[in-house]
Amino acid sequence: MILLLIGTALFSVGGLISLFLKEKYKSVAFIGFAALAQLFILPIVIRMLLSGGQIEAQVYFSEPFGISPFRLDPLAALFALIISLGALLAAVYSHGYMKMYSGDTAELSSYYFFLGLMSFSMLLVVVVQNALLFLLVWEMMSLASFFLVNFEHTKEDVRKASIYYLIAMQIGAACLIAAFSWTSAITGSLDFNSFKSVVCNSGNNSIFIFILFFLGFVTKAGFVPLHTWLPKAHPAAPTGVSALMSGVMIKMGIYGILRILLLVGIPDYRLAYGILIISIITGIYGVANAIAQHDLKKLLAYHSIENIGIIGMGIGVGMLGLIYNNTFIAALGFFGALLHTFNHFTFKSVLFYGAGIVYSQTHTRDIEKLGGLNNYLPFTSIMFLIASLAISGLPILNGFISEFAIYTGIAKSFSINNIAITIAALMGFSGLALIGAMALLCFTKVYGICFLGTSRSEFPVTPEEKEYSLLLPMAFLVLAMVVIGVFPILAINMITAAVGQFAPDMSNTAMPQIISLMTHISISISIFIFIIVFFFAVRTFLLRKKSVQVFKTWDCGYQKESSRIQYTGSSFAQPILQLVAELVPQKVQVHKEQDVFPTHASFESHSQDFSERLLIQPSIRLLNNFLNKFSWIQSGRMQQYIIYGLIFLIFLLVWIWSGK
Amino acid sequence: MMTKVIVFGIACVLPFFFIGIINRTKARWAGRKGPSVFQLYYDFSRLLRKGEVISKTTSFVFIVTPSLNVAAALFALLFIPIPFIGSMISFPCDFIAFTYALGLAKFMLVLAALDTGSSFEGMGASREVTFSTLVEMAFFIVLGTLALLTNQISFEAIFATITVSAGYSLLVKILLVASLFIMLLAEGSRVPIDDPNTHLELTMIHEVMILDYSGPDLAFMVYAASMKMMLIALLIANLCIPPNLPSIAALCLFIGILLFIYISIGAVESLIARSRMSHVPQFIFVMTALSLTAFAVVAFFLLGGLS
Repeated sequence: MILLLIGTALFSVGGLISLFLKEKYKSVAFIGFAALAQLFILPIVIRMLLSGGQIEAQVYFSEPFGISPFRLDPLAALFALIISLGALLAAVYSHGYMKMYSGDTAELSSYYFFLGLMSFSMLLVVVVQNALLFLLVWEMMSLASFFLVNFEHTKEDVRKASIYYLIAMQIGAACLIAAFSWTSAITGSLDFNSFKSVVCNSGNNSIFIFILFFLGFVTKAGFVPLHTWLPKAHPAAPTGVSALMSGVMIKMGIYGILRILLLVGIPDYRLAYGILIISIITGIYGVANAIAQHDLKKLLAYHSIENIGIIGMGIGVGMLGLIYNNTFIAALGFFGALLHTFNHFTFKSVLFYGAGIVYSQTHTRDIEKLGGLNNYLPFTSIMFLIASLAISGLPILNGFISEFAIYTGIAKSFSINNIAITIAALMGFSGLALIGAMALLCFTKVYGICFLGTSRSEFPVTPEEKEYSLLLPMAFLVLAMVVIGVFPILAINMITAAVGQFAPDMSNTAMPQIISLMTHISISISIFIFIIVFFFAVRTFLLRKKSVQVFKTWDCGYQKESSRIQYTGSSFAQPILQLVAELVPQKVQVHKEQDVFPTHASFESHSQDFSERLLIQPSIRLLNNFLNKFSWIQSGRMQQYIIYGLIFLIFLLVWIWSGK
Repeated sequence: MMTKVIVFGIACVLPFFFIGIINRTKARWAGRKGPSVFQLYYDFSRLLRKGEVISKTTSFVFIVTPSLNVAAALFALLFIPIPFIGSMISFPCDFIAFTYALGLAKFMLVLAALDTGSSFEGMGASREVTFSTLVEMAFFIVLGTLALLTNQISFEAIFATITVSAGYSLLVKILLVASLFIMLLAEGSRVPIDDPNTHLELTMIHEVMILDYSGPDLAFMVYAASMKMMLIALLIANLCIPPNLPSIAALCLFIGILLFIYISIGAVESLIARSRMSHVPQFIFVMTALSLTAFAVVAFFLLGGLS
């Protein structure tokens, strides 16, 4: 345990030391410390994942914290693995990416400092099990990431986005503070383990406490309708940070939900159905909005929402399995959720890294202006394609494995003879299929429009790949995707212990079934790869002596070829957006020239976030109106403020007096 | 094992024959003699012997896609039970692997279309993904209904246990067959969703996506498309065939049902015109409605007594 804490501290030490170094050594020093931290963290974490059990250390802090337990169990270890790797990769990526901002030493110092602080606090979040200390590191994580989002604070929209993010995080934290104080007021202890009696099914008000916890964690994770900060904060942050936030930090919300679920034991059925349904809505809503986006990073942010929905569906299925006492379903659900958490870290990081390279080379994130990047950025293009396939859940890659587990869990629950679960299962089954199909649509759009065809605008400089530090993290993660996709057994072994925490008696009954299922998948995917290679060989053989001419694209005999005749992202997405117009309202502005000889016409379409418009903005307006009534308190006159102090002191005196 | 391989090999070469049946039906309906049912085999072997013309804007995606499409279609065939031999591979939820392998093929097909930078192909690609999104959701409702009806979650087990004993399961089967038939028309790019005979109009979906392919790559694409059609036809045939028949009789009946399906596709194409593009989603929603009704019927009869 102490080694793990040393490793954790190394991140912040790295950040601190890079404050005082010359500009070009900052990133190197930070990477060095992050890599050193892996040596401390990975062995413990991996041993914990493989063997299970629990390590515990009691640390004595002064009041108000008291005795604070630090515990590492397989669940925490899985998240620690993701955080630790994610932080290192983000550091390596930043080495290349932040050269865009070279010359701005002060900003870069704060960047690495807060990056270290964020990694440090995230690692602490998963091991700390004292409520007060947990809230402290939770806030530290939010604040560190706030400063990272606010990196380009000279831009107004970045400032707006980061303040929005900060407020959203504080609302979530407020729910958590309420939930933790409620529970510890009942138990009189700050240790998580003592909360068991409060949150478990038989406890009084346990459902309300759970909902409070859920609201707090869900704001971090980005479930609908509390997701609105994601599409604002992710595009604003520097790409390394977007990847870390989307791939790792929002998972802290998932971690929180799972941690509470562990204490709950067998959950209330209303919670299980609630989580399942919210997750389905989140998934569909996220992907439908993603399709409408023109901004590459905003699109990816909406996909994070979609994937959080998929993870949530896994959790929901697992909970239903527990309720209906079916270990196989429970194990599959939690297995799918946990594996998808890891998988989403791999492919979403690659996608953000790819988007960052595109942005740094073309200086635009607008999909409609890109195109043909495959010719300039061949390596990025392949990595981006593989990650796109993985996030759409297609076979050979890891996304398929986790979605398959969730699908199997849902399909199995059709055999429980209960009308409620049957309907929920059908919703989950077709919902997941719809999410998958729409993700396919969205990523054919992203990859096809950005990387294929010809470029839709002039790039300021010819895009090129010259920074290996940008490409290395992508290659590493893509390797992980393929390995998990082809040999899911390896992933199973890593996650079994963590799943076992949720479904305790699964090792005898469910585990052999899951292993045989995954062996089947492994074999059939190998067959699939063999058939693909075989037919490609046949094609090469058939063409070995034939002429292969290269000619321009067939365009109906049109003489002036132009990149502007290509389909755009908006036109590609238009048919489906028309179908989901209620869910993703579009604001369209058409400017038509009415002259005899039309010279200029324009068309613009922007999607609007449903919940932003219907939920967030009205509630802000209400709150504003209400709080405006108190604006006389803050008059700006010093005399008045001194009076407030005086009133407060008198009040205190009276209170103490009356107490005696 | 040997019989398995032989029957599977025959199944691999059959798709073109069935497409020939459609063309023959349409010709007869129109009073023409029509091409031989083996015409597509000649076309196929001729294409394989040709060279290629490749667009200069294309990348590796364009080159890999045809092989991948054929591979995915054949891989999907491994999961479908055929009387006499059963499925080549079967495990719980193999239908997910089936659907997602075809999804991978579709992903690459759409990318290959966008890869050429042609406005026609972009249009086809956009429509293809939109319609298949709708189809996929309805298909999963069909799968859910089957899983609920039979308590099984693999193709082989589902089709082995599905019975017509109870009155309502016949109704369910009819609904599901109708639903899958719409899927067959949609995924096979047939009238009224798409017209396989128009090669150069703004009405087409599948044909326009493969405009720039030639030679062996085109041959692969045509084969993959016809195989994909046959996969769904095989599912329908599996649904129609009564279980526990002697295997030879089952096989004959099976082929008879397949012929009937393809003749009815030809009949549909002769009788109705391709619908307007904006009406296609409505047509696919009929499939969703049919499958949902089937699901409701099963849920009502199986679980009706429970609250």
